[in-house]
Amino acid sequence: MKPAARLVVTLVAALALLPGVVAVILHMPSFGDHALPYGDAINRLAPVERHVTNMVTAVNFDYRGFDTLGEEYMLLAAVTGALVLLRGRRGENVSDAPAKADGRSIAPRSPAVMLICRFFAPVLLLFGVYVVLHAQLTPGGGFQGGVIIGSGALLLYLGESYRTWRRFMRSLIFDMIEATGALIFVLAGFGPMMAGAKFLENTLPLGQSRALISGGLILVTNAGTALAVAGGFVLLLLEFLEETRALDAGDKS
Amino acid sequence: MTVLPWAVAAWLLGIGLYGIITSRHYLHLIGCLTVLQSSTYVLLLSAGYRWGAGAPIFYDHPPGTPAVDPVVQALVLTDIVVGATVSALLLALALQVHKRRGTLDPEELRPLRR
Amino acid sequence: MTALLVLAFLLAAATGTGVVLTRHPRRQVVALAINGLALALLFMALQAPDVAYSELAVGTAALPLMFLGLLVSIATDRPEK
Repeated sequence: MKPAARLVVTLVAALALLPGVVAVILHMPSFGDHALPYGDAINRLAPVERHVTNMVTAVNFDYRGFDTLGEEYMLLAAVTGALVLLRGRRGENVSDAPAKADGRSIAPRSPAVMLICRFFAPVLLLFGVYVVLHAQLTPGGGFQGGVIIGSGALLLYLGESYRTWRRFMRSLIFDMIEATGALIFVLAGFGPMMAGAKFLENTLPLGQSRALISGGLILVTNAGTALAVAGGFVLLLLEFLEETRALDAGDKS
Repeated sequence: MTVLPWAVAAWLLGIGLYGIITSRHYLHLIGCLTVLQSSTYVLLLSAGYRWGAGAPIFYDHPPGTPAVDPVVQALVLTDIVVGATVSALLLALALQVHKRRGTLDPEELRPLRR
Repeated sequence: MTALLVLAFLLAAATGTGVVLTRHPRRQVVALAINGLALALLFMALQAPDVAYSELAVGTAALPLMFLGLLVSIATDRPEK
């Protein structure tokens, strides 16, 4: 179908659906006024039952922990797929010379960027670990902290040259970190079963509210998620940046 | 004005679809897919809002203060991270397409055109 | 409906439109980052700090970087024919 014909068909379909969209929008519950029964139940019960203060973490890792298990494995599958696609043709060699586009030279790194990155990368990594550890107390958790740790690795790349960075970032370590995270989550599910409870039931001691060690099984599942997300994002970063290296003599591209 | 959240979500969905349909570069298409995903986040979070309520974090104030719905926030939270990873997978696929066919234009890459 | 919420919603819609209407991939990366920032502000206005965390880290840092990395590898690539 020609692009113009496709555009015409799209517009006709949009106009045909427009009355339906408008009707739905006008019949939606009024913004901010309707009842939130499930949310109110969680807000009322979770601080008492689980001794945590972050309701979103309680929902994510305890009440709906099974869904988070599925999401984490979705993440693992997507990262594995991207890695297989990128590594399959390139092989597993590590080369550390950055590639050049035709006619453009590689600009030297500016000292300002180096200074800022060298100062902020450890701060960002520490902040990421803080966000992970305070999952059940303040806004944060495994997902957010994992991505922040990935951004810390990105700052490391920006501050150092590609050569230096590639030499100390070994993808094997991050493979293992990601796999360990996923495994911890599943073992946290099977652990209560060995004690006679259900899968992913919170049977660890719950601790005191507002303490760093509280929430029982939430700590374990949170740690597993943080490891998996951090490892996955750093792996993706590594592989995407690895694609920008210069080709060796024996590479098939 | 109280239908603004739903209208914004519908608008983002519509414009994201329009971008995908009329795209001439696969990377532009993946960016429009991101916009499409963000429309669902806006819809879900607007469905969980309550006037005059705070965040569902009870560290500073005691449990029992009015708070918004934490369930939709949990849904959107994992969704954002997984959506980014799926976009990475799509980007890797786009790279392989470029390596084999030399172009990233959907018009040039029709299956029956060699 | 407070003015802040109205402004945040309209900003999110405007930046989303900007991402779609920016056709050149290298410029669209910046538009994506701005869209991520606007969405994070909207999520904060909707009293969702966890979600804003996630969207900020992903939408402004991780995703534009992956796009840029891919653009570089496409520019420095020799396709096999």
